[in-house]
Amino acid sequence: MSYELLIALRQLRARKFQTLLSVGAIALAVMVLTVSHSLLAGFTGELYNTTVEKLPHVSVSPEEGEDYIYLYGTLIERISSIEGVTAISPFLTGQASFKFKDNSLNCELRGTVPSQENQISSIEEDMVEGSFQELDFSRNTVVIGSKLAEKLKVNLGDSVDVSFPNANPLSLRVVGIFHTGSPLDESLAYTSLKTAQQFYDVSDVVNGVSVRLRDFNNDRKVANEIEEVGYNAKGWTETDPAILHTIAIESTSNTVLYGLIVVVASFGVVSTLNLSVIGARGQIGMLRAMGAQVSGIQRIFILQSGILGLLGALFGTFTGVLISLAIGQYEVPADPSDAYGSISFIPIVVHPQYILSIILAVFLLNLITGVYPARQAAKIDPIKAISSK
Amino acid sequence: MTNESPVIELKNLTKVYQNGVEFRALDNANLRIEKGEFVAIVGPSGSGKSTLMHLIGLLDSPSSGTLLIDGKDVTKMSDKERSGMRNSILGFVFQYHHLLPDFTALENVMMPLLIAGKSREKAKNVAEELLKEVGLEGRMDHRPGELSGGQNQRVAIARALSCSPSIVLGDEPTGNLDTKTGDMIYELLRRLNKEYNQTFIVVTHNEELASKADKIIRLVDGKITVQ
Repeated sequence: MSYELLIALRQLRARKFQTLLSVGAIALAVMVLTVSHSLLAGFTGELYNTTVEKLPHVSVSPEEGEDYIYLYGTLIERISSIEGVTAISPFLTGQASFKFKDNSLNCELRGTVPSQENQISSIEEDMVEGSFQELDFSRNTVVIGSKLAEKLKVNLGDSVDVSFPNANPLSLRVVGIFHTGSPLDESLAYTSLKTAQQFYDVSDVVNGVSVRLRDFNNDRKVANEIEEVGYNAKGWTETDPAILHTIAIESTSNTVLYGLIVVVASFGVVSTLNLSVIGARGQIGMLRAMGAQVSGIQRIFILQSGILGLLGALFGTFTGVLISLAIGQYEVPADPSDAYGSISFIPIVVHPQYILSIILAVFLLNLITGVYPARQAAKIDPIKAISSK
Repeated sequence: MTNESPVIELKNLTKVYQNGVEFRALDNANLRIEKGEFVAIVGPSGSGKSTLMHLIGLLDSPSSGTLLIDGKDVTKMSDKERSGMRNSILGFVFQYHHLLPDFTALENVMMPLLIAGKSREKAKNVAEELLKEVGLEGRMDHRPGELSGGQNQRVAIARALSCSPSIVLGDEPTGNLDTKTGDMIYELLRRLNKEYNQTFIVVTHNEELASKADKIIRLVDGKITVQ
């Protein structure tokens, strides 16, 4: 152990109370930062799970000036050869008027290949009645959202009349009702691709293809590759930028705010160390006389600041993680109004790499703030310091 | 004494302080100090005793002139080189001991050796030996706060000797002690000087103590008057 570290550690131990205060202040700030990040990461993760995971990561639409994708079989083959694509679902969608007894309502009618669509939107998980796959087994069937079902007053097994100008009116049997907790519950109905083509009176064509990726962060890259083939393709970050904005604003403002608290706590250490420099003038002068270089004297104080920072960061992240995990155990009371969506626990995500980077950042920050007292110590004239008591 | 080259040689050494008014703290000093000598520097306050001591101790730089230590010109050395020389060939005892309060007597004596980069084990052996030499074998694990003024000054002397310096500098080393303790410390310095044949230079205003030195240098207004 170098003499600098030896002296630094001994001085910290000798000033127990100040050391405890400094470490405590930093630990408190780091703890708040850690808890806030765990909550935010949990919130972000939940947001991705409930939205992005159910969104098509890339949406392909017809070429410029066309209404349909005619050779969608070929397109699907091309897309499936792109690295990172895990599912592809072609669809034909449009507006339709739903009528049951005296109730009628307009909404989107989307014809899909149920097994493929389920890989994109996981709609099967949201079924509250009936089955989504049933669309595959019998013709002229439909799966509707819970709100739509409520408004039309239809039940499973009822037949609804579906019509639209320029479309072939059909009578569709309700084989499933889904509930996602989103506006789609009122505005979307699924049928098979064949039924939709029959309804809209078109040949075997689609007007869109949904693509799911292994990593949803690659959406724009994959969209660009598809555009090279000649189709319009957009990543979810382009079609739903609001999600990204929410996450970005939340995380930036939180990190800046709590990061500033950590900075404030670190500057508290500077004033404590400055006092100790003044108190140790004679000893510093004597160390210089004994042959300690200016850089050695500086290291003593930078080390003290760094050690205080490191201890604060370790205690702060430790308690922060404990508190985060405790919050994660808290069961959200069941709320019939559905205000919390389907959340039953407060989502918490602790990223080990983030914890490590907090520790490292606080340690570095304190090494830097330690430069000021270190320079004060270096400026001390050994002759004057030694001559005074 | 011998025809060896002197351990310290001053040639026209001058130190001028420029604090608005020019003040010649040391004026054209010429001096030779031989190895093993015990030299007392005396003179009234403000005569330049401490300035001379700080220059020889490489804590201050001269305005002009040459200072040779062990035959080497030290006036143009960098901070790093001067620090190295202070550590290896100079030992200091000041009026106030300035021991590190959070370290034991033993650790304080070990400190110059640790600064020199020696191992803790080696430093501990040397420090124990020196603390025995100054009569503190039973007080090694005490901190400065638990020792008397005289005992602390003896720790400071042991510390000054820990790197086996060729020159030991004392700036009023007994100035803060009562007469009886002061005499004892002075005797200790004298004994160590004879035992290790190191050069001792002691600033004092105590004429009685000075008279026991091999050589007395008297300073008046920055000039060396009697040798």
